[in-house]
Amino acid sequence: MTNHPVHPVDERPCASYTLRVNGFERPVTDAWIGESLLYVLRERLGLAGAKNGCEQGECGACSVQVDGQLVAGCLVPAALAADSEISTVEGLSAGGAASDVQQALADSGAVQCGYCTPGMAMAVHDLLQRNHRPSEVEARQALCGNLCRCTGYRSALAAVQTVADARSAALLEAEEAAAEVAASAEPAEPAEPVQVQAESEVPDLPVYQDAWTETAAAGEVPVFGNDDSGWIVAQPFEAPPVYDAPQAYAASQDFEAAQPFEDVPPFEGTPMPGPDQSAGGYQPLPTAAGTGVGVGVVPPQGYPGYDPTAYGPGTVYAAGATYEPTPAHGTSAPGAPFEGTPAHGTPYEPTPAHGTPYGTPAHGTPAQGTGYPGYPDQQYAGAPYEGAGYEGTPYDRTSYDGVGYDGTVYEPAPAAPYDAASAHGLRLPEDDHA
Amino acid sequence: MLPTSLDEAVEALAASPAAVPVAGGTDLMEAVNAGRLRPAALIGLGRITELRGWRYEDGGTAVLGAGLTLARMDRPDFAALIPALADAARTAGPPQTRNVGTLGGNIATAAPAGDTLPVLAALEASVTLARPGATREVPVSHLLTGLDPMRPGELLTWVRVPLLNAPQVFLKATGRSGPSRATASVALVLDPARRAVRCAVGAVAPVPLRPLEAEAWVAGCIDWDARGEEGVPAIDPAASAAFGEYVATACVPDGYGADAASGLAVEGPTAVALRLRRTVAVLARRALGRALK
Ligand SMILES: Cc1cc2nc3c(=O)[nH]c(=O)nc-3n(C[C@H](O)[C@H](O)[C@H](O)COP(=O)(O)OP(=O)(O)OC[C@H]3O[C@@H](n4cnc5c(N)ncnc54)[C@H](O)[C@@H]3O)c2cc1C
Ligand code: FES
Ligand code: FES
Repeated sequence: MTNHPVHPVDERPCASYTLRVNGFERPVTDAWIGESLLYVLRERLGLAGAKNGCEQGECGACSVQVDGQLVAGCLVPAALAADSEISTVEGLSAGGAASDVQQALADSGAVQCGYCTPGMAMAVHDLLQRNHRPSEVEARQALCGNLCRCTGYRSALAAVQTVADARSAALLEAEEAAAEVAASAEPAEPAEPVQVQAESEVPDLPVYQDAWTETAAAGEVPVFGNDDSGWIVAQPFEAPPVYDAPQAYAASQDFEAAQPFEDVPPFEGTPMPGPDQSAGGYQPLPTAAGTGVGVGVVPPQGYPGYDPTAYGPGTVYAAGATYEPTPAHGTSAPGAPFEGTPAHGTPYEPTPAHGTPYGTPAHGTPAQGTGYPGYPDQQYAGAPYEGAGYEGTPYDRTSYDGVGYDGTVYEPAPAAPYDAASAHGLRLPEDDHA
Repeated sequence: MLPTSLDEAVEALAASPAAVPVAGGTDLMEAVNAGRLRPAALIGLGRITELRGWRYEDGGTAVLGAGLTLARMDRPDFAALIPALADAARTAGPPQTRNVGTLGGNIATAAPAGDTLPVLAALEASVTLARPGATREVPVSHLLTGLDPMRPGELLTWVRVPLLNAPQVFLKATGRSGPSRATASVALVLDPARRAVRCAVGAVAPVPLRPLEAEAWVAGCIDWDARGEEGVPAIDPAASAAFGEYVATACVPDGYGADAASGLAVEGPTAVALRLRRTVAVLARRALGRALK
């Protein structure tokens, strides 16, 4: 259906353009027009915060904002983003310090391998820009395009609430302070009404706080006007940072060759020692646009108040108890009784070697390599399962036909009694209506 | 290049026929990144503001711009207008792609799992295709089935959708709970003025399918006068269930998923077909139930 001509005139048509990233003008020269914004940001501009997880729009690791909208950077043709306002995760952590969103993600444990984190931070940032008080469902919907293989999302959702709470508390505080100032300036005027208004304002913030909601005529999507209305305020323009890296990679437009950037750990502003540097490699600059802070969540060693010696062995803790090495499992620590692992009060026993049957599994879930309770003789060898064909769970008495379907047509169950229950056996309210 | 008006874009496309129009780029860049497409030039449609909204026409028709984003279609004002299209847009991918992905791109891509397509088929929408100095109007069904395909150098500009002011439902079955493409979808709209039900099944075939006989049959089973009244069922539950089966059998052939190359003669429906039919039947029955609630 798509009417793409099949005769490319020029194998590699290129274009030069200027991107406006986090308020800075960043020229891009002779870039192939098919390059995605993600590629240009990472490989040409040295902003390696957005990650390349799939290049297919599925994972959200590349999330950036274009004209204030969250998009997958890998699906934006960079050449067409030329006069748009682009914000990346590097812009969140202005000045190198983690933003409240990033800090909350780190604090809540939403960062494990960290690959999804820049995208997640952008998604949370975008959500809280639009919706100051997202419900759990709204937060889930907003983050549903960001895949995380490590954490299971709970902690990211917790971070959303943390930031939302903190921001509304700060807002309230600021308004109360303002009210107090007003009250002290004009003693005749009671501060009460202002405060009441401030409180009622917080939960009632509009869900979609787009700049246009007020003025939108029905059926029309107003675009951001020339009078600057509706634009996300850009950071003040400063002298464009000088970069010497991109050209080195621009010369070889080979994506594989440009991979080294992938490996630059996202440490804040700390130049990576190594040959890359001297060879005109990637030089993080201490500007908002240029720090190259990938994650920007773990405070660097050396943040104010960090004392590398403070937590050495034997350090006296505030409570006065001296630190002692973790007791071996099963031994009760002298002094404070060890209240760690043993589940349900069962005395902990050392994990048996793989393959030895486990007496009574404490939780009922056998660990790998232990005999399955009830089949004490069948020991799971621990090898990848490749025995007789997996029969699968019969799906409502129809034969299994999923993975491993070999083309054999199974005899369908004769007229599976269809009782108007839904496919998964759940009855929904509307089933009774229909 | 980024034309700011429709005429400019049409001229630009005519001037360089090798250029590729880009709306949201969510389908296009996927192909470029995967190495399936090497564009000779890009014409960005994102700045054509007239295509990003909609207007009304006499006779109860909404004229939707091809540049209307999926995210915009999810907003309440649009959802009040064409609820099924809003439902389809809401489930079409993660926010990152819905923010930029457009109605026109969805139609032009014509993917089997395109979520707006069954809705447009059920609504019997038509599209306007523009080239310099001329436009033509093509029913969506003709466009999708290849009866009257889009020609090189043409730009999809408007989508004409009749406003029915009656319940419409879009339901979609997916492989996981997050945003993902449909394994089957059903769009069902009521047309009380004509006492008709229109239904289209998406994702089970390369194009959305209309089970016309099932539609006509079930329209006769509905108590149109009782519709919407409290406590009066507008349709017998058994008829509703039978409608589901009817739609499923009409849209999923016996040989669905059978390996033609294996040369095995297949008797009766394959297991894959049975399973898909079950999904479609449940979706269709539920869609009817919701529409008549
Ligand atoms: C992760 C992910 C999940 C997705 N999930 C879904 C889903 O669940 N359901 C679904 O339906 N889709 C889904 N999609 C597909 C995609 O988001 C939609 O099809 C979207 O509507 C495409 O619109 P676009 O504006 O991005 O099109 P583009 O990528 O800009 O264009 C697609 C094609 O249409 C052509 N084109 C675009 N506009 C015009 C026009 N006005 N005139 C002529 N030709 C034009 C382009 O040349 C191109 O060939 C998904 C995509 C991704 C990346
Ligand atoms: S890299 Fe863009 S979404 Fe995965
Ligand atoms: S922390 Fe590893 S992918 Fe999310």
